[in-house]
Amino acid sequence: MNLDFSQMVPYIPFILEGIWVTLKFVIVAIILGSILGTILALFKIGSIKPLRWFADAYTSIFRGTPLILQLMIIYYSIPQLTGYDISPFLSAILAFGLNSSAYISEIIRAGIQAVDKGQMEAAQALGIPYRAMMKDIILPQALKNILPALMNEFITLTKESAIVSTIGYLDLMRRAQVVGSDLFRNFEPLLFVGLIYWCLVMGLTVIGRMFERRLKQSD
Amino acid sequence: MIKVEHLYKKFGTNEVLTDISAEIKKGEVVSIIGPSGSGKSTFLRCLNMLEIPTSGKVLVNGRDLTGPKKEIENIRQQIGMVFQHFHLFPHMTVLDNLTYAPMKVKGLKKAVAEEKARTLLQRVGLSDKEKAYPSSLSGGQKQRVAIARALAMEPELMLFDEPTSALDPEMVKEVLDVMKDLAKSGMTMAVVTHEMGFAREVADRVLFLDHGALVEEGQPQEFFTSPKTERARDFLEKVL
Repeated sequence: MNLDFSQMVPYIPFILEGIWVTLKFVIVAIILGSILGTILALFKIGSIKPLRWFADAYTSIFRGTPLILQLMIIYYSIPQLTGYDISPFLSAILAFGLNSSAYISEIIRAGIQAVDKGQMEAAQALGIPYRAMMKDIILPQALKNILPALMNEFITLTKESAIVSTIGYLDLMRRAQVVGSDLFRNFEPLLFVGLIYWCLVMGLTVIGRMFERRLKQSD
Repeated sequence: MIKVEHLYKKFGTNEVLTDISAEIKKGEVVSIIGPSGSGKSTFLRCLNMLEIPTSGKVLVNGRDLTGPKKEIENIRQQIGMVFQHFHLFPHMTVLDNLTYAPMKVKGLKKAVAEEKARTLLQRVGLSDKEKAYPSSLSGGQKQRVAIARALAMEPELMLFDEPTSALDPEMVKEVLDVMKDLAKSGMTMAVVTHEMGFAREVADRVLFLDHGALVEEGQPQEFFTSPKTERARDFLEKVL
Protein backbone atom coordinates (compact mmCIF):
# COMPACT_ATOMS: atom_id res chain seq x y z
CA MET A 1 0.00 0.00 0.00
CA ASN A 2 1.58 3.18 -1.15
CA LEU A 3 -0.85 6.09 -1.17
CA ASP A 4 0.54 9.58 -1.41
CA PHE A 5 -1.87 12.43 -1.91
CA SER A 6 0.73 15.14 -1.28
CA GLN A 7 2.07 15.04 -4.83
CA MET A 8 -1.43 15.73 -6.09
CA VAL A 9 -1.87 18.98 -4.19
CA PRO A 10 -0.69 21.32 -7.00
CA TYR A 11 -3.19 19.68 -9.34
CA ILE A 12 -6.21 20.09 -7.07
CA PRO A 13 -7.37 23.43 -8.54
CA PHE A 14 -7.09 21.91 -12.04
CA ILE A 15 -9.30 19.00 -11.01
CA LEU A 16 -11.78 21.20 -9.16
CA GLU A 17 -12.26 23.32 -12.29
CA GLY A 18 -13.58 20.12 -13.83
CA ILE A 19 -16.60 20.21 -11.52
CA TRP A 20 -18.03 23.19 -13.35
CA VAL A 21 -17.01 21.75 -16.74
CA THR A 22 -18.91 18.56 -15.98
CA LEU A 23 -21.87 20.32 -14.35
CA LYS A 24 -22.18 22.75 -17.24
CA PHE A 25 -22.94 20.13 -19.84
CA VAL A 26 -24.83 17.85 -17.45
CA ILE A 27 -27.24 20.68 -16.60
CA VAL A 28 -27.77 21.62 -20.24
CA ALA A 29 -28.23 17.96 -21.17
CA ILE A 30 -30.79 17.47 -18.38
CA ILE A 31 -32.76 20.50 -19.54
CA LEU A 32 -32.61 19.43 -23.19
CA GLY A 33 -33.51 15.85 -22.26
CA SER A 34 -36.46 16.94 -20.11
CA ILE A 35 -37.94 19.21 -22.75
CA LEU A 36 -37.50 16.69 -25.56
CA GLY A 37 -38.63 13.87 -23.29
CA THR A 38 -41.85 15.67 -22.40
CA ILE A 39 -42.60 16.34 -26.05
CA LEU A 40 -41.91 12.71 -26.97
CA ALA A 41 -44.11 11.50 -24.10
CA LEU A 42 -46.97 13.68 -25.36
CA PHE A 43 -46.43 12.22 -28.85
CA LYS A 44 -46.65 8.72 -27.40
CA ILE A 45 -49.94 9.23 -25.59
CA GLY A 46 -51.43 11.42 -28.32
CA SER A 47 -53.77 10.31 -31.05
CA ILE A 48 -51.65 11.32 -34.05
CA LYS A 49 -50.26 8.08 -35.46
CA PRO A 50 -47.13 9.35 -37.31
CA LEU A 51 -45.97 11.23 -34.20
CA ARG A 52 -46.54 8.17 -32.06
CA TRP A 53 -44.61 6.08 -34.52
CA PHE A 54 -41.78 8.62 -34.58
CA ALA A 55 -41.51 8.76 -30.78
CA ASP A 56 -41.47 4.97 -30.51
CA ALA A 57 -38.80 4.64 -33.19
CA TYR A 58 -36.73 7.38 -31.57
CA THR A 59 -36.87 5.68 -28.19
CA SER A 60 -36.03 2.32 -29.66
CA ILE A 61 -32.91 3.68 -31.41
CA PHE A 62 -31.54 5.71 -28.50
CA ARG A 63 -32.23 3.02 -25.92
CA GLY A 64 -31.10 0.25 -28.18
CA THR A 65 -27.54 1.41 -28.87
CA PRO A 66 -24.67 2.28 -26.51
CA LEU A 67 -24.42 5.86 -25.37
CA ILE A 68 -20.71 5.93 -26.09
CA LEU A 69 -21.44 4.92 -29.67
CA GLN A 70 -23.96 7.75 -30.04
CA LEU A 71 -21.40 10.17 -28.64
CA MET A 72 -18.72 8.97 -31.09
CA ILE A 73 -21.08 9.11 -34.03
CA ILE A 74 -22.06 12.69 -33.25
CA TYR A 75 -18.49 13.82 -32.60
CA TYR A 76 -16.81 12.13 -35.54
CA SER A 77 -19.52 11.89 -38.18
CA ILE A 78 -20.84 15.46 -38.14
CA PRO A 79 -17.47 16.92 -39.30
CA GLN A 80 -17.13 14.13 -41.85
CA LEU A 81 -20.62 14.57 -43.29
CA THR A 82 -21.12 18.32 -43.07
CA GLY A 83 -17.68 19.79 -42.65
CA TYR A 84 -18.85 21.52 -39.48
CA ASP A 85 -16.20 21.08 -36.80
CA ILE A 86 -18.36 20.25 -33.82
CA SER A 87 -16.90 20.95 -30.39
CA PRO A 88 -16.69 18.22 -27.74
CA PHE A 89 -19.00 20.34 -25.55
CA LEU A 90 -21.76 20.50 -28.17
CA SER A 91 -21.35 16.81 -29.03
CA ALA A 92 -21.66 15.93 -25.35
CA ILE A 93 -24.82 18.00 -24.88
CA LEU A 94 -26.39 16.50 -27.98
CA ALA A 95 -25.51 12.90 -27.19
CA PHE A 96 -26.58 13.07 -23.56
CA GLY A 97 -29.64 15.24 -24.17
CA LEU A 98 -30.94 13.10 -27.04
CA ASN A 99 -30.16 9.87 -25.22
CA SER A 100 -31.74 10.80 -21.90
CA SER A 101 -34.83 12.22 -23.62
CA ALA A 102 -35.60 8.67 -24.76
CA TYR A 103 -35.52 7.42 -21.17
CA ILE A 104 -37.27 10.48 -19.76
CA SER A 105 -40.08 10.18 -22.30
CA GLU A 106 -40.80 6.65 -21.07
CA ILE A 107 -40.79 7.81 -17.45
CA ILE A 108 -43.16 10.69 -18.21
CA ARG A 109 -45.43 8.54 -20.36
CA ALA A 110 -45.82 6.08 -17.50
CA GLY A 111 -46.43 8.97 -15.11
CA ILE A 112 -49.16 10.48 -17.27
CA GLN A 113 -50.87 7.15 -17.71
CA ALA A 114 -50.79 6.58 -13.95
CA VAL A 115 -52.83 9.73 -13.32
CA ASP A 116 -56.44 8.82 -12.62
CA LYS A 117 -58.48 8.88 -15.83
CA GLY A 118 -61.15 10.76 -13.94
CA GLN A 119 -58.88 13.81 -13.82
CA MET A 120 -58.95 14.04 -17.60
CA GLU A 121 -62.71 13.56 -17.67
CA ALA A 122 -63.26 16.21 -15.02
CA ALA A 123 -61.14 18.65 -17.02
CA GLN A 124 -62.95 17.79 -20.25
CA ALA A 125 -66.34 18.16 -18.57
CA LEU A 126 -65.34 21.68 -17.53
CA GLY A 127 -64.47 22.51 -21.13
CA ILE A 128 -60.75 22.92 -20.41
CA PRO A 129 -58.73 22.70 -23.68
CA TYR A 130 -56.27 19.81 -24.11
CA ARG A 131 -53.08 21.88 -23.78
CA ALA A 132 -54.14 23.63 -20.60
CA MET A 133 -55.36 20.34 -19.16
CA MET A 134 -52.00 18.69 -19.81
CA LYS A 135 -49.96 21.60 -18.49
CA ASP A 136 -51.94 22.50 -15.37
CA ILE A 137 -53.84 19.34 -14.39
CA ILE A 138 -52.18 16.17 -15.68
CA LEU A 139 -48.43 16.90 -15.84
CA PRO A 140 -48.16 18.38 -12.32
CA GLN A 141 -49.76 15.24 -10.91
CA ALA A 142 -47.63 12.99 -13.10
CA LEU A 143 -44.49 14.83 -11.99
CA LYS A 144 -45.21 14.00 -8.37
CA ASN A 145 -45.44 10.28 -9.15
CA ILE A 146 -42.34 10.13 -11.32
CA LEU A 147 -39.98 12.34 -9.37
CA PRO A 148 -38.00 9.44 -7.85
CA ALA A 149 -37.60 7.79 -11.27
CA LEU A 150 -36.65 11.12 -12.80
CA MET A 151 -34.02 11.79 -10.11
CA ASN A 152 -32.63 8.35 -10.81
CA GLU A 153 -32.24 9.25 -14.47
CA PHE A 154 -30.52 12.54 -13.63
CA ILE A 155 -28.13 10.77 -11.27
CA THR A 156 -27.29 8.18 -13.91
CA LEU A 157 -26.69 10.95 -16.42
CA THR A 158 -24.36 12.79 -14.03
CA LYS A 159 -22.22 9.70 -13.51
CA GLU A 160 -22.29 8.48 -17.09
CA SER A 161 -21.11 11.94 -18.11
CA ALA A 162 -17.62 10.57 -17.44
CA ILE A 163 -17.60 8.92 -20.86
CA VAL A 164 -17.18 12.30 -22.57
CA SER A 165 -13.54 11.96 -21.48
CA THR A 166 -13.23 9.65 -24.49
CA ILE A 167 -13.68 12.51 -26.95
CA GLY A 168 -11.16 14.68 -25.15
CA TYR A 169 -13.59 16.89 -23.29
CA LEU A 170 -11.77 18.10 -20.17
CA ASP A 171 -14.36 16.99 -17.61
CA LEU A 172 -13.64 15.62 -14.13
CA MET A 173 -12.82 12.16 -15.40
CA ARG A 174 -10.46 13.36 -18.12
CA ARG A 175 -8.69 15.64 -15.65
CA ALA A 176 -8.07 12.70 -13.32
CA GLN A 177 -6.49 10.84 -16.22
CA VAL A 178 -4.35 13.84 -17.18
CA VAL A 179 -3.10 14.25 -13.63
CA GLY A 180 -2.53 10.51 -13.37
CA SER A 181 -0.29 10.37 -16.40
CA ASP A 182 1.57 13.48 -15.27
CA LEU A 183 2.37 11.96 -11.90
CA PHE A 184 2.67 8.35 -13.02
CA ARG A 185 0.23 7.73 -10.16
CA ASN A 186 -3.36 6.97 -11.12
CA PHE A 187 -5.03 5.79 -7.98
CA GLU A 188 -5.01 9.06 -6.01
CA PRO A 189 -6.53 11.34 -8.68
CA LEU A 190 -9.11 8.68 -9.57
CA LEU A 191 -10.06 8.32 -5.92
CA PHE A 192 -10.28 12.08 -5.62
CA VAL A 193 -12.69 12.57 -8.55
CA GLY A 194 -14.65 9.55 -7.37
CA LEU A 195 -15.28 11.45 -4.17
CA ILE A 196 -16.33 14.53 -6.15
CA TYR A 197 -18.80 12.52 -8.25
CA TRP A 198 -20.24 11.07 -5.07
CA CYS A 199 -20.69 14.58 -3.61
CA LEU A 200 -22.40 15.79 -6.80
CA VAL A 201 -24.84 12.89 -6.69
CA MET A 202 -25.54 13.47 -3.00
CA GLY A 203 -26.26 17.11 -3.81
CA LEU A 204 -28.71 16.04 -6.51
CA THR A 205 -30.36 13.63 -4.10
CA VAL A 206 -30.87 16.37 -1.52
CA ILE A 207 -32.36 18.71 -4.15
CA GLY A 208 -34.69 15.92 -5.27
CA ARG A 209 -35.87 15.29 -1.70
CA MET A 210 -36.57 18.98 -1.19
CA PHE A 211 -38.57 19.10 -4.38
CA GLU A 212 -40.48 15.98 -3.40
CA ARG A 213 -41.43 17.52 -0.07
CA ARG A 214 -42.72 20.63 -1.79
CA LEU A 215 -44.91 18.56 -4.13
CA LYS A 216 -46.26 16.59 -1.17
CA GLN A 217 -47.75 19.78 0.24
CA SER A 218 -51.20 18.82 -1.00
CA ASP A 219 -51.31 15.39 0.69
CA MET B 1 -82.71 22.15 -23.54
CA ILE B 2 -81.18 18.78 -24.38
CA LYS B 3 -82.56 16.27 -26.81
CA VAL B 4 -81.35 12.77 -27.56
CA GLU B 5 -82.34 11.07 -30.78
CA HIS B 6 -81.89 7.37 -31.51
CA LEU B 7 -78.75 7.03 -29.44
CA TYR B 8 -76.72 3.86 -29.84
CA LYS B 9 -73.48 3.04 -28.06
CA LYS B 10 -71.38 -0.06 -28.61
CA PHE B 11 -68.18 -1.09 -26.84
CA GLY B 12 -66.73 -3.48 -29.40
CA THR B 13 -69.56 -5.87 -30.13
CA ASN B 14 -71.22 -5.20 -26.80
CA GLU B 15 -74.28 -2.99 -27.29
CA VAL B 16 -74.60 -0.82 -24.20
CA LEU B 17 -77.27 1.60 -25.34
CA THR B 18 -79.99 0.73 -27.80
CA ASP B 19 -82.03 3.36 -29.60
CA ILE B 20 -82.61 5.83 -26.78
CA SER B 21 -84.59 8.96 -27.48
CA ALA B 22 -85.32 11.38 -24.69
CA GLU B 23 -85.61 15.04 -23.90
CA ILE B 24 -84.88 17.17 -20.88
CA LYS B 25 -86.62 20.53 -20.78
CA LYS B 26 -85.28 23.67 -19.19
CA GLY B 27 -85.71 23.67 -15.41
CA GLU B 28 -86.59 20.00 -15.31
CA VAL B 29 -85.03 17.50 -12.89
CA VAL B 30 -84.80 14.05 -14.42
CA SER B 31 -83.72 10.97 -12.51
CA ILE B 32 -82.22 8.10 -14.44
CA ILE B 33 -82.55 4.81 -12.62
CA GLY B 34 -82.11 1.16 -13.38
CA PRO B 35 -80.16 -1.94 -12.37
CA SER B 36 -76.37 -1.81 -12.48
CA GLY B 37 -75.07 -2.48 -15.96
CA SER B 38 -78.22 -1.06 -17.50
CA GLY B 39 -76.24 1.67 -19.27
CA LYS B 40 -77.48 4.64 -17.27
CA SER B 41 -74.02 6.06 -16.58
CA THR B 42 -73.01 5.55 -20.20
CA PHE B 43 -76.18 7.36 -21.25
CA LEU B 44 -75.36 10.28 -18.97
CA ARG B 45 -71.76 10.39 -20.23
CA CYS B 46 -73.01 10.56 -23.79
CA LEU B 47 -74.82 13.78 -22.91
CA ASN B 48 -71.51 15.66 -22.70
CA MET B 49 -69.53 13.43 -25.04
CA LEU B 50 -67.34 11.80 -22.42
CA GLU B 51 -68.50 8.75 -24.33
CA ILE B 52 -68.84 9.22 -28.05
CA PRO B 53 -72.10 7.66 -29.23
CA THR B 54 -71.81 5.03 -31.95
CA SER B 55 -74.75 6.64 -33.71
CA GLY B 56 -77.57 8.99 -32.97
CA LYS B 57 -77.73 12.65 -32.06
CA VAL B 58 -77.36 14.72 -28.92
CA LEU B 59 -78.70 18.23 -29.35
CA VAL B 60 -78.07 20.95 -26.79
CA ASN B 61 -80.25 23.98 -27.45
CA GLY B 62 -80.47 22.75 -31.00
CA ARG B 63 -76.69 22.45 -31.47
CA ASP B 64 -75.44 19.01 -32.37
CA LEU B 65 -72.84 17.70 -29.92
CA THR B 66 -71.86 14.86 -32.20
CA GLY B 67 -70.44 17.44 -34.61
CA PRO B 68 -66.93 18.95 -34.78
CA LYS B 69 -64.59 18.92 -31.80
CA LYS B 70 -64.41 22.66 -31.16
CA GLU B 71 -68.17 22.71 -30.78
CA ILE B 72 -67.94 20.08 -28.06
CA GLU B 73 -65.61 22.22 -25.95
CA ASN B 74 -67.96 25.18 -26.20
CA ILE B 75 -71.08 23.24 -25.36
CA ARG B 76 -69.37 21.42 -22.51
CA GLN B 77 -68.97 24.75 -20.77
CA GLN B 78 -72.75 24.89 -20.52
CA ILE B 79 -72.97 21.41 -19.02
CA GLY B 80 -71.64 20.80 -15.53
CA MET B 81 -70.82 17.30 -14.40
CA VAL B 82 -70.48 15.71 -10.98
CA PHE B 83 -68.83 12.30 -10.74
CA GLN B 84 -69.23 9.38 -8.39
CA HIS B 85 -65.59 9.69 -7.33
CA PHE B 86 -65.49 13.51 -7.25
CA HIS B 87 -62.34 13.91 -9.36
CA LEU B 88 -61.29 17.12 -7.67
CA PHE B 89 -57.85 18.34 -8.74
CA PRO B 90 -55.74 17.03 -5.83
CA HIS B 91 -52.81 19.41 -6.33
CA MET B 92 -54.96 22.52 -6.06
CA THR B 93 -56.65 24.10 -3.06
CA VAL B 94 -60.44 24.10 -2.88
CA LEU B 95 -60.52 27.71 -4.05
CA ASP B 96 -58.21 26.99 -7.00
CA ASN B 97 -60.37 24.01 -7.95
CA LEU B 98 -63.27 26.43 -8.30
CA THR B 99 -61.47 29.27 -10.02
CA TYR B 100 -59.24 27.40 -12.48
CA ALA B 101 -61.74 26.66 -15.23
CA PRO B 102 -63.60 30.00 -15.10
CA MET B 103 -60.27 31.82 -15.39
CA LYS B 104 -58.77 29.54 -18.03
CA VAL B 105 -61.82 28.84 -20.15
CA LYS B 106 -63.99 31.90 -19.69
CA GLY B 107 -61.16 34.35 -19.11
CA LEU B 108 -62.50 35.70 -15.82
CA LYS B 109 -60.22 37.93 -13.76
CA LYS B 110 -58.80 36.27 -10.67
CA ALA B 111 -60.62 38.58 -8.24
CA VAL B 112 -63.96 38.05 -9.97
CA ALA B 113 -63.53 34.28 -10.12
CA GLU B 114 -62.54 34.13 -6.45
CA GLU B 115 -65.48 36.20 -5.34
CA LYS B 116 -67.84 33.94 -7.24
CA ALA B 117 -66.11 30.86 -5.85
CA ARG B 118 -66.54 32.13 -2.31
CA THR B 119 -70.25 32.70 -2.87
CA LEU B 120 -70.57 29.14 -4.15
CA LEU B 121 -68.60 27.69 -1.25
CA GLN B 122 -70.94 29.49 1.09
CA ARG B 123 -73.88 28.01 -0.76
CA VAL B 124 -72.58 24.47 -0.25
CA GLY B 125 -71.60 25.26 3.34
CA LEU B 126 -67.83 25.07 2.98
CA SER B 127 -66.66 28.66 3.35
CA ASP B 128 -64.04 27.66 5.92
CA LYS B 129 -62.35 25.19 3.55
CA GLU B 130 -61.17 27.44 0.72
CA LYS B 131 -57.49 27.06 1.60
CA ALA B 132 -57.73 23.30 2.22
CA TYR B 133 -56.52 20.63 -0.20
CA PRO B 134 -59.01 17.96 -1.31
CA SER B 135 -57.13 15.20 0.53
CA SER B 136 -58.06 16.78 3.87
CA LEU B 137 -61.81 16.77 3.15
CA SER B 138 -64.39 14.09 3.89
CA GLY B 139 -66.22 12.41 1.02
CA GLY B 140 -69.31 14.52 1.50
CA GLN B 141 -67.27 17.70 1.57
CA LYS B 142 -65.38 16.66 -1.57
CA GLN B 143 -68.61 16.07 -3.42
CA ARG B 144 -70.00 19.43 -2.35
CA VAL B 145 -66.81 21.10 -3.60
CA ALA B 146 -67.19 19.16 -6.86
CA ILE B 147 -70.74 20.48 -7.24
CA ALA B 148 -69.52 24.01 -6.54
CA ARG B 149 -66.71 23.56 -9.07
CA ALA B 150 -69.21 22.59 -11.76
CA LEU B 151 -71.49 25.49 -10.82
CA ALA B 152 -68.61 27.95 -11.09
CA MET B 153 -68.86 27.62 -14.86
CA GLU B 154 -72.49 28.75 -14.64
CA PRO B 155 -73.83 25.76 -16.57
CA GLU B 156 -77.36 25.56 -17.88
CA LEU B 157 -77.52 21.85 -17.23
CA MET B 158 -75.99 19.73 -14.49
CA LEU B 159 -75.25 16.02 -14.88
CA PHE B 160 -74.85 13.89 -11.76
CA ASP B 161 -73.32 10.43 -12.14
CA GLU B 162 -74.23 8.51 -8.97
CA PRO B 163 -73.09 11.41 -6.80
CA THR B 164 -73.72 9.68 -3.47
CA SER B 165 -72.68 6.11 -4.29
CA ALA B 166 -69.11 6.48 -3.02
CA LEU B 167 -70.12 8.21 0.21
CA ASP B 168 -70.43 6.91 3.74
CA PRO B 169 -74.12 6.73 4.68
CA GLU B 170 -73.98 9.64 7.10
CA MET B 171 -72.67 11.93 4.36
CA VAL B 172 -75.29 11.19 1.76
CA LYS B 173 -77.75 13.65 3.20
CA GLU B 174 -75.47 16.69 3.06
CA VAL B 175 -74.90 16.11 -0.64
CA LEU B 176 -78.55 15.41 -1.41
CA ASP B 177 -79.52 18.58 0.47
CA VAL B 178 -77.25 20.63 -1.78
CA MET B 179 -78.78 18.95 -4.83
CA LYS B 180 -82.32 19.57 -3.61
CA ASP B 181 -81.47 23.19 -3.01
CA LEU B 182 -80.11 23.35 -6.55
CA ALA B 183 -83.24 21.76 -7.98
CA LYS B 184 -85.39 24.29 -6.15
CA SER B 185 -83.38 27.14 -7.63
CA GLY B 186 -84.54 26.01 -11.07
CA MET B 187 -81.42 24.26 -12.34
CA THR B 188 -81.92 21.74 -15.11
CA MET B 189 -80.58 18.44 -13.80
CA ALA B 190 -80.05 14.88 -15.00
CA VAL B 191 -79.28 12.58 -12.08
CA VAL B 192 -78.20 8.96 -12.29
CA THR B 193 -78.91 7.66 -8.82
CA HIS B 194 -79.67 4.75 -6.56
CA GLU B 195 -81.34 7.09 -4.08
CA MET B 196 -84.96 6.26 -4.77
CA GLY B 197 -86.02 8.73 -2.07
CA PHE B 198 -84.36 11.53 -4.00
CA ALA B 199 -85.85 10.41 -7.32
CA ARG B 200 -89.28 10.27 -5.79
CA GLU B 201 -89.15 13.52 -3.90
CA VAL B 202 -87.17 15.84 -6.15
CA ALA B 203 -87.40 14.57 -9.72
CA ASP B 204 -90.02 15.83 -12.15
CA ARG B 205 -89.59 12.77 -14.28
CA VAL B 206 -88.01 9.34 -14.01
CA LEU B 207 -86.29 7.45 -16.83
CA PHE B 208 -85.97 3.73 -16.21
CA LEU B 209 -83.23 1.99 -18.18
CA ASP B 210 -82.66 -1.73 -18.42
CA HIS B 211 -80.24 -3.59 -20.68
CA GLY B 212 -79.40 -0.38 -22.51
CA ALA B 213 -82.95 0.43 -23.46
CA LEU B 214 -85.28 3.12 -22.17
CA VAL B 215 -87.99 0.85 -20.79
CA GLU B 216 -90.25 3.29 -19.06
CA GLU B 217 -90.54 6.95 -18.24
CA GLY B 218 -93.01 8.93 -16.22
CA GLN B 219 -93.86 11.07 -13.22
CA PRO B 220 -92.22 9.75 -10.04
CA GLN B 221 -95.56 9.40 -8.24
CA GLU B 222 -96.95 7.24 -11.00
CA PHE B 223 -93.75 5.32 -11.63
CA PHE B 224 -93.07 4.37 -8.04
CA THR B 225 -96.64 3.44 -7.12
CA SER B 226 -97.84 1.78 -10.31
CA PRO B 227 -95.07 1.01 -12.80
CA LYS B 228 -96.39 0.03 -16.19
CA THR B 229 -93.78 -2.51 -17.22
CA GLU B 230 -92.85 -5.86 -15.74
CA ARG B 231 -89.16 -5.01 -15.64
CA ALA B 232 -89.72 -1.78 -13.71
CA ARG B 233 -91.93 -3.64 -11.24
CA ASP B 234 -89.20 -6.27 -10.73
CA PHE B 235 -86.59 -3.60 -10.18
CA LEU B 236 -88.68 -1.59 -7.73
CA GLU B 237 -89.50 -4.69 -5.73
CA LYS B 238 -85.80 -5.28 -5.21
CA VAL B 239 -84.80 -1.76 -4.24
CA LEU B 240 -87.76 -0.41 -2.28
